[in-house]
Amino acid sequence: MTQRRRHVLLYLVLAAATVLAALAGLGIGPVRLTPVDVWNALGGRGDVTAVAIMRDIRAPRVVLAGLVGAALAMSGAALQGTMRNPLAEPYLLGVSGGAAVGAVLAVAGGAPFGLVPLGAFAGAVAAVMLVLAIARAGGRRPDPRVLLMAGVVVGAFANAVIMIALASAPADSVRNALWWMMGSVAGATWGQIGWFAAYGVLSAGALLLFAPEIDVLALGDDAAAGLGVNVDRAGRRAYVIASLLAAATVAAAGLVGFVGLVVPHLVRTRAGSRHRAVIGAAGLAGATLVILADLVARTLRAPSELPLGAVTALGGVPFFLFQLRRFK
Amino acid sequence: MPFVYHRYFRLGFAACVAFAAALVVACGDLRSRTPAVADTAAAKTIGAVTLRDDFGDTLALRALPRRIVSLNPATTELFFALGAGDRLVGRTHFDLYPTAAQAVQDLGSAIPPNVESVLGVRPDLVLLYASESNREPAGRLHAAGVPTLTLRIDHIADFRRAVGILGRVVGDTARAAVVTDSVTATLERVRVATQGKPRLTAFWKAWDSPVIAIGGGSFLSELVDIAGGKNVYGDDPRPAFDVTIEDVVRRDPDVVFAGPESGERMRAAPAWRALRAVREGRILIVDTMLVGRPGVRLGEAAVSLARLLHPGSLP
Repeated sequence: MTQRRRHVLLYLVLAAATVLAALAGLGIGPVRLTPVDVWNALGGRGDVTAVAIMRDIRAPRVVLAGLVGAALAMSGAALQGTMRNPLAEPYLLGVSGGAAVGAVLAVAGGAPFGLVPLGAFAGAVAAVMLVLAIARAGGRRPDPRVLLMAGVVVGAFANAVIMIALASAPADSVRNALWWMMGSVAGATWGQIGWFAAYGVLSAGALLLFAPEIDVLALGDDAAAGLGVNVDRAGRRAYVIASLLAAATVAAAGLVGFVGLVVPHLVRTRAGSRHRAVIGAAGLAGATLVILADLVARTLRAPSELPLGAVTALGGVPFFLFQLRRFK
Repeated sequence: MPFVYHRYFRLGFAACVAFAAALVVACGDLRSRTPAVADTAAAKTIGAVTLRDDFGDTLALRALPRRIVSLNPATTELFFALGAGDRLVGRTHFDLYPTAAQAVQDLGSAIPPNVESVLGVRPDLVLLYASESNREPAGRLHAAGVPTLTLRIDHIADFRRAVGILGRVVGDTARAAVVTDSVTATLERVRVATQGKPRLTAFWKAWDSPVIAIGGGSFLSELVDIAGGKNVYGDDPRPAFDVTIEDVVRRDPDVVFAGPESGERMRAAPAWRALRAVREGRILIVDTMLVGRPGVRLGEAAVSLARLLHPGSLP
C-alpha cells in the first residue's frame, strides 16, 4: 500500500471512530432515549424535555469534548515535534500552572464564576510568554531544553502562588476553582463552543500550515538551519500557537491531562513522520478519546461525575501500553 | 505531565474532603452516633457535669464554663438561645446569627480549627464539630488541658440531643427544654398544616459548579418532608453530593429549591431548560441564611419551606 493510501485509510478509520463515539455520547445518558427519539429530538421534534436534553445538554457536551480533545492532541503533536522531546506536552510550557493561577486568583479576588475561564486563559497566556522570556534571557535562541526548564520553573512558581491563594481564600471559592481545574465539559454551552471553535479552527489551521516547518525542526536545529529554515522564528511560532491552543482548552474545560501527551504517540506509528498527517490524525484520535472519556465520566458514577482528566488517563494508559508492545 | 497537575489532584482531593466536611456542617451527615450522657456521683454536685462526646472522649466539667469557644454555627446559635451568648469568647468565621454573635471574636475556620488561635483566647470549653479532620485538633486541645466537646449535629434528632447537652453545659436544663419544645412544636404545626396537601417532589440545589444536590442524609431533606414535599434524592443516604443535570431531569422534580443567586443562574443556563420545573417557573428561592443550619431556627425554616411549597397553608 502506498503511503498516501495508508493515510487515507487511517483518516477514514479515525473519522469513523469519532463519529461512533459522538453517536454513543448523544445516545447514552441517565434519561433513556431510543435512537428514534434522539434523531427526532436533534431535529427539534417530539417531547420538549427530550429536545432540551439533546440540544442543551448532550450535544454541547459531545461537541465541546471533541473540540477540546482535538485541540490538546494537535497541540501535543506539534510540540513534541518542535521540541524533539517525546515528553513534551501542551501543559508543560506553563499553560497548566498559569491557567490555574489565573483561575484561582480570579475566584480568590471575588470575580464571578463566569469569569474564571477568562482568568485561566489570561494566566495561561501570561505564563507562556514568561516561559519564552526566561528561555530567551540567555540572549541566544531558545533551546528546547531551556524551554522545558523554564516551563518547569514557571510551573513551580505558579504552584507557590496557588498554594498561597488557597491558604488565604474562603473555602467556597477555592472549591469552585479546584473543581474547575479537575476538568469537565459539564457546563458546555453553544456560546462557549462558538468562540472556542473559531479560535481552535484558526490555531489548528495554523499548525497544519506550519507543519512542514515542524518536520524540518524535528531533524535538529543544525540540520534545519542547513535547510534554510529560520529555526528561532519557526520554533517560536510553533510553540506559541500550540500553547495558546492548549490555553483555550483550559478556559473551556479545565485541565484534561494525558490527551496532549499520549494521543500523538498513539497515532505517530501509523501516521508516519510527516507532521501534517500526525497532527491531523492526532486531532481525530484526541476528539474520540475525550468524547468517550466524557461519556464514561458522566455515567460510571451516576448520578455524580468523575473528573474528565482522570478518566482520559485511566482509559488512555492501556491503549498506550498496547501501542508500546506493538512498537517493539 | 507537569508535576503541578498531580498536585491539583491532591489539592483537589483535600478540597473535596474539606468541602464534604463543610457541607456536613451545613447539611448533615449519615453517621450520627448517640453519645451516652452520664451523670456520675460528682455530677450531682452543683455545676459539675460529666459528658461523653461524639469522639468518645469523656469530659468532666468541675464548674460551669465561663469562656466558651463555639466552632460550629449551630452551637453558637444555641448558646445565645440558652442565654449564654455572653460566655462565648470565640466563634467561626461563618457564625453570623444571631447578630450579637458577630461581636464575638472570629477565630476563622472550624474544620480544622486553628488550635493556636483557640488557645489564645484562653477558653475553658471548646465546642467542635465531630468531623474526622477535627480528631487531631481535638486531641491537641485535650493535651493542652482545654476541655473540648465534639458534637455531630446533622439531623433534627442531633439538634435535640445537642440542646440537651448544652443545657447541662450552661447549667440551664429548663431553658434547654423550652428551646427543644418550641422547635418541636413548630415542626409539628408545619407537619399538620401540610398533611392533607399533595406531596410535591423537590430537588434541592446546594451548589452550581459542580451541581450539588441535598440527599437524604441532610436535615434539609427532613425539613422538605415536614413541609409537605419529597426530596427526589431522599433515597441517597449521603447529605450532599454532585449530580449531573440530566440525572436531575430523569428524576423530574415538581419544584426546585435554590438560593437567590443559584436560582438566578439556573434560570439563565440553557441546560437547565431540560428540567420541567424550570420551564414551568417553579424555582423556589430559599433564605439560605435561615435554612442553612440545623439550629434553633429549624422550626422557622420549616415554616418558610412550607409557605413556598404550599402557599396559604400556614398563616
